[in-house]
Amino acid sequence: MTSISLPATATTQKTQFGMRGRRTLADLITYILLALFSLFVLIPFFYMFSTSLKPESQLFEWPIRWIPDPIMWENYVRAFQELSRIAPGLDFWRILGNTLFITILAMVAELVAVTIVAYGFARFRFPGRDVFFILMLSTMMLPGIITLIPIFVIWRNLGLIDTYDPLVTGIWLGGGAWAVFLLRQFLLSIPKEIEEAAIIDGANTFQIYYKIMLPLIKPALLALGVLIFQGNWNNFMGPLIYLNTPVKFPMVVALKFFQESLSKEAPKWHYMMAMSTVMAAPILALFFAAQRYFIEGLTVGAVKG
Amino acid sequence: MVISAWETYLPTFIRWCAVGGGVILSMIGLYYLLRFFKVKPEVANGYALILPWILGFLIWNLYPFARSFYLSFTQYNMFQPPQWIGLENYVRMFTKDPYFWPSFRLTLFYAALNVPLGLIGSILVALLLNRPIKGIGIWRTIYYLPAVLPAAAVALLWRWMFSPTSGLINFTLQPVYKLLNMRPLEWFTDPNLLMPAFVIMGMWGVFGANTVILLAGLKNIPKELYEAADIDGATGWSKFIHVTLPMLSPTIFYNLVTGIIGSLQIFTQAFFIPIPRASGTFLNVKIYQEAFSFGNFGYASALAWFLLVVILLLTLLVFRSSALWVYYEGEKR
Repeated sequence: MTSISLPATATTQKTQFGMRGRRTLADLITYILLALFSLFVLIPFFYMFSTSLKPESQLFEWPIRWIPDPIMWENYVRAFQELSRIAPGLDFWRILGNTLFITILAMVAELVAVTIVAYGFARFRFPGRDVFFILMLSTMMLPGIITLIPIFVIWRNLGLIDTYDPLVTGIWLGGGAWAVFLLRQFLLSIPKEIEEAAIIDGANTFQIYYKIMLPLIKPALLALGVLIFQGNWNNFMGPLIYLNTPVKFPMVVALKFFQESLSKEAPKWHYMMAMSTVMAAPILALFFAAQRYFIEGLTVGAVKG
Repeated sequence: MVISAWETYLPTFIRWCAVGGGVILSMIGLYYLLRFFKVKPEVANGYALILPWILGFLIWNLYPFARSFYLSFTQYNMFQPPQWIGLENYVRMFTKDPYFWPSFRLTLFYAALNVPLGLIGSILVALLLNRPIKGIGIWRTIYYLPAVLPAAAVALLWRWMFSPTSGLINFTLQPVYKLLNMRPLEWFTDPNLLMPAFVIMGMWGVFGANTVILLAGLKNIPKELYEAADIDGATGWSKFIHVTLPMLSPTIFYNLVTGIIGSLQIFTQAFFIPIPRASGTFLNVKIYQEAFSFGNFGYASALAWFLLVVILLLTLLVFRSSALWVYYEGEKR
C-alpha cells in the first residue's frame, strides 16, 4: 500500500522498484506457504470423502485412486444398513432424530439460561455480584472429569441413566460459564441509557429484557448459538457415559459403536469414512452458512477479554 | 426389543419443559420474596436473574467438586456406599498401578509437544494471513475447517491416514521405505511413533481455530504503532520483536492457557485410537475406564484430582510467568 503512495521522483523510483521486487518475492513466498498449509489441511478431508466413495477392492490400491471408479454412492446407504444389522432399529433417520433432539433441546436451554444470567451479571448491582462472577470464571478452569462421577451418581439416583435428561435437562441450571462470560462482555458494550429510557416509560425487567435487550444482542446470540450447536453435535463423552441402548445413540456414539463392532470383522474403512462424512456434513454446512458468527464467537472472548 | 422414538423423546421432553418452567417460576418467586422483605428492586432483580447460575453452581460444580474429593479417599463401586480407605487410592496411583506413570508421561509429553508446536505454527500462519494478500476470507475458511469437524471424525480419519498397511501416509512414504530397506512404520501401534502421530493429528485439529484467534489479535494492533516504528527506521524484524509480539502477547497467553488445559484433557481422539497397553493411556481415558469400565469410582476420583492439580499447577506457572512476557496496554505498573 505504501509503495503506491510514494511520489514518483527519480530517486524514490529506484527504491520503489527495489522494494517492489522484494515485495513480489515476499508475496510469492507467502502464497506458496499458504498453499502448502492448505494442502496439509485439505488433503485429509479429500481423502475421507474419496475413501467413502470407493468400492472395497480399491481401498488398498496403490497408486491411490483419488477419484474412485465406479463412484459408490451406495456406500452411504450400505454403511447405515450394516449398522442397523448390528443394532436393530438404529437406522439413519433414528440417529439423525436422536442427534437433533439432543442438540436442539440443549441449545435452547443453554441460550435461554445464559442470556438471563448474563443479563443479571451485566446490568444489575447487588451485593456479592463480583464474587459470584469470579467464582463463575474459575469454574471454567475446572476439568470436566472432576465433577463427572458425582454428577453421574446424581442422575443415577434420579433413575435417569439411559435417557437424554443428563444431556439436555440439567443445562437449564446455569448454562456454560464461557457463554455467560461472552454474552456479558457483549451486554456491557450496550449503553445503559437505552434501558433507563424504557424504565421511565414504565417497562418492567421482563419487558426490557425481551423487547430491548434480546434484539440488541441478536448477533451475539447467533454466534453463541452456532458454537453451542457445534459443541453438542460433536459431544462424545456425555452420550457415551449416559446412554446404553444403541437405538438411543446420537451420531458420534453410533459411529464408535459401529467401529467397535466392525473391528472384529474386516475394518470397513469406506463405510467408516462415509459415516464420518455424514456426521461432518451438517456442521460443515452450518459453518459455511454462518462463518461470520463462528469466527465472531471464537474471537470475542480471546481478543477483547 | 426396539424402543420407539416416541418412547425415548417424550418423557425427556416433558421433564425438560418442566425443569425449564420450574427455573423460571422460581426466579419470579425469588423476586417477589425479596421484594416482600423490602429489598431494593435492582438487587431483587439481580439475584432473581442469576438464580439459574447459582443453582447450577451448587448442583453441578460445588457439590460434585467436594464430593469427588471425598470419593477419592474411598472405595466406591456405586452399588454399596463408599468406604473410607484413607490415602490408599493415592498410594496405589503413585506406587502400585503400573500404568499410571506411563499414562501421566504420555499425557504430559503430548501437551508439552502439542501446545508449543501448535502455537508457533498458528502464529506463523496468522502472520502470513495478516500480510496484504488476496482472498483472505478463503484462506481463513480453509484453515478453520478442521476445527469444526467432530473430534470423533478427526480421530477416525487420522487413524485411517496412519494405517500401517494401507493409509495415505505409508503409501506416500513407500519409496522411502524401499530406499532404506525398512518395514513400513506402524504409527499409532508403535510406542515410539504414537506421540508424533498424535501431535500431528492434534495440530491439524486445533491449528485453524488458534490461527483465527491470533489473526484477530494481529488485526487489533493499532496501525499507528507500525507507522511510528517506520519513522524511527525500524526493520521488519525489529517491528516484529518490539511491536507485534508485545501487542499480540495477551492473545498468545490466552491460546497458551486454553491449549494446556485442552491438551491435558484430550479424550475423544484418544478414545477412538487404541494404542499399545504398555504405553499407558491418556489420563482422561484412564479415568473413564477406571470408573465406567472397571467400576473403581473412588480410584477414578483420585486420578481426576491428580489431573486437576497438574492442570492448576501448570496454569499457575503460566499465569506467574505472564508478568514477564505479557504486555497489557494501559496497565498500571
